[in-house]
Amino acid sequence: MLSIKNLHACVEDKQILNGLNLEIKAGEVHAIMGPNGSGKSTLSQVLAGNEAFDVTKGEVTFNGDNLLDLPTEERAREGLFLAFQYPVEIPGVSNLQFLRTSVNAMRKHHGIEDMNAAEFMKLAKAVSKQVDLDPAFLKRGVNEGFSGGEKKRNEVMQALLLQPKLAILDETDSGLDIDALKVVADGVNALRAPDRAILMITHYQRLLDHIVPDYVHVLSTGKIIKSGGPELALELEAKGYGWLGIEDQAAANHG
Amino acid sequence: MKSASTLSSAFLHPAGQALPASLLALRFDRASALADLVLPSRKTENWKYSAKHLKLTDDMASTLPLDASVETATDISGYTIVLVNGVVRPQASSYPTLEGLSVQRFSDLSEDDATLAADLMKKSISDQPAKAGSVNLSLLNGARFEDGLLIQLQPGTVVNQPLFVIHHTTANHSGSAYPCILVAAGNNSQLTLVEDYVSSGDSPVMVNTTTEFSLGDGANVTSVRLNTEGQTVQHMGTTGVRQQRSSRFESHSVGFGGTLRRHDLHVRLEGEGSECKLNGVVVTQGTQHYDNHTTIEHVAANCNSEETYRNIAADKSHAVFNGRIHIHQDAQKSNANMSNKNLLLTNGAEIDTKPELEIYADDVLCAHGATIGQLDKESIFYLVSRGLSRRDANVLLTMAFINELVDQIPVEQVRDAAHIGLNQFFDQAFQEG
Repeated sequence: MLSIKNLHACVEDKQILNGLNLEIKAGEVHAIMGPNGSGKSTLSQVLAGNEAFDVTKGEVTFNGDNLLDLPTEERAREGLFLAFQYPVEIPGVSNLQFLRTSVNAMRKHHGIEDMNAAEFMKLAKAVSKQVDLDPAFLKRGVNEGFSGGEKKRNEVMQALLLQPKLAILDETDSGLDIDALKVVADGVNALRAPDRAILMITHYQRLLDHIVPDYVHVLSTGKIIKSGGPELALELEAKGYGWLGIEDQAAANHG
Repeated sequence: MKSASTLSSAFLHPAGQALPASLLALRFDRASALADLVLPSRKTENWKYSAKHLKLTDDMASTLPLDASVETATDISGYTIVLVNGVVRPQASSYPTLEGLSVQRFSDLSEDDATLAADLMKKSISDQPAKAGSVNLSLLNGARFEDGLLIQLQPGTVVNQPLFVIHHTTANHSGSAYPCILVAAGNNSQLTLVEDYVSSGDSPVMVNTTTEFSLGDGANVTSVRLNTEGQTVQHMGTTGVRQQRSSRFESHSVGFGGTLRRHDLHVRLEGEGSECKLNGVVVTQGTQHYDNHTTIEHVAANCNSEETYRNIAADKSHAVFNGRIHIHQDAQKSNANMSNKNLLLTNGAEIDTKPELEIYADDVLCAHGATIGQLDKESIFYLVSRGLSRRDANVLLTMAFINELVDQIPVEQVRDAAHIGLNQFFDQAFQEG
């Protein structure tokens, strides 16, 4: 489904990804772990098409198409979904208006007619419930005044609504208490399907207790330096990143 | 054409609609006072950004036909008065019948009511001479009006549906029109007045308007102003408001750009405990121009004013906001808030904003803020990452910028009309890419 070969990317002339390779097949759940500054979020932003990042080398194909040639909106319509680490607040645009425009943009792309307002409300309320969000939030501005946890649940809610082929979850576990983590994990697990792939990007192992991945990769200085099964995450939890000869750059910077 | 810097005398000859003597006398005085008026240039303080758009050629001086035939069918049900080229068209109007509310055209006024109307105009802000360095072109209205409306509310009268005034200008050939609306709201009365400025035809014309509100103690008046005239209409509007004790005035205006659009709104809080709220939205595109000048005078103590204006400029258009707050020496405990936010959709567009504060009292709360920005890239990325087209993302974000103000317009028909106009604006400003 997703094939990344020798990907190099930079932001403002700072090289962040340095030859990253990754293959993800339909039905698989992958987790990418790594210390702060290793390039995890850059990878997700590059895959979603954020123009602030420049791809300098390498290729990415998504279901056979050259992903890097597609503008962000086309990637989304082809089924790529990014749950943002820091979803932006957009006062004045209601969630309802935004989500309905989104759903109908996807439908239009696939030659399906618009979903009517009543049908949409029913669906939106159902998926809100699935992530324990009060449907009253649909009337509020996009992410406006949401707590960190509500923003993350809103992201997972959107994934459930849009039913993407590939869902990339960028630190969707950060800032969640244990109850919210459980709700988010249940939502993500509900997404697991033979024709769908999930890529989780996380700093910590705790999310992986609830969403057990098929593969775990360790990212360091913009490359995957080790891959394994779920047991690799446990090993990292026990031994830390230092065991692999890398240090947490952010921690080092703070020190 | 001579490069005259004074107003052509051709502009000082009214058409001669029958009017009561006191109004004729007032009009004559105004015309005399205007004889030496120097036209604004870019060096004129209050016309700095608009003077170059002003084109007062002699062929625009003649009064547009008072009996012009127009399609006046409106889908407004309720109290509606239609003015064509500044003259009331009774057969197209639907006058209110409500105890305590009187709506009369100037030509029908008794001499007593005409004296009241003349007094209102004499005291009106638009008839005050301009301060040094400024030019007051709204004086023209006092020298040229052919008709108008005197709206009187007896004390305690509550009008529970909006009164619509449709100002229709026929731009089939060059000329000008001078509509005039006077509102005297008695103590504790209540009214929502909607003024809708529309036009037909595409010759260059000028519309020079006066709207004057006088609010008694405890009166509550809302003014809604929508401007959707054609591109060839130069619009110069002036609204003056005088507020007595504990009165409340609200203004909601939505303006679409044209060759020259200007609105001067001047509120005087003269009675203690009075308050005003002024909201304005302007969108411009192409080479359009729109200039909002507001002045709020806190004359008495313990008054509140709140002002929120938003401009959006696309293409090579130009929007101007000049907001002045003047707090007089005796206006202690004044509370004044002014916010002006602006959105530039292209590099070629221009927005000028100028907040002016003059504070002579020492115990006041006064806040102002002005920003000029572009659509937030991060927000656009978020929206398109959910499959929205760039255009839809731009439209949603631009709408968000002004929705807060459009949603506050208390008259549904105007909100709907504003949305229709805004959607047309978005269709042109954001072509599907």
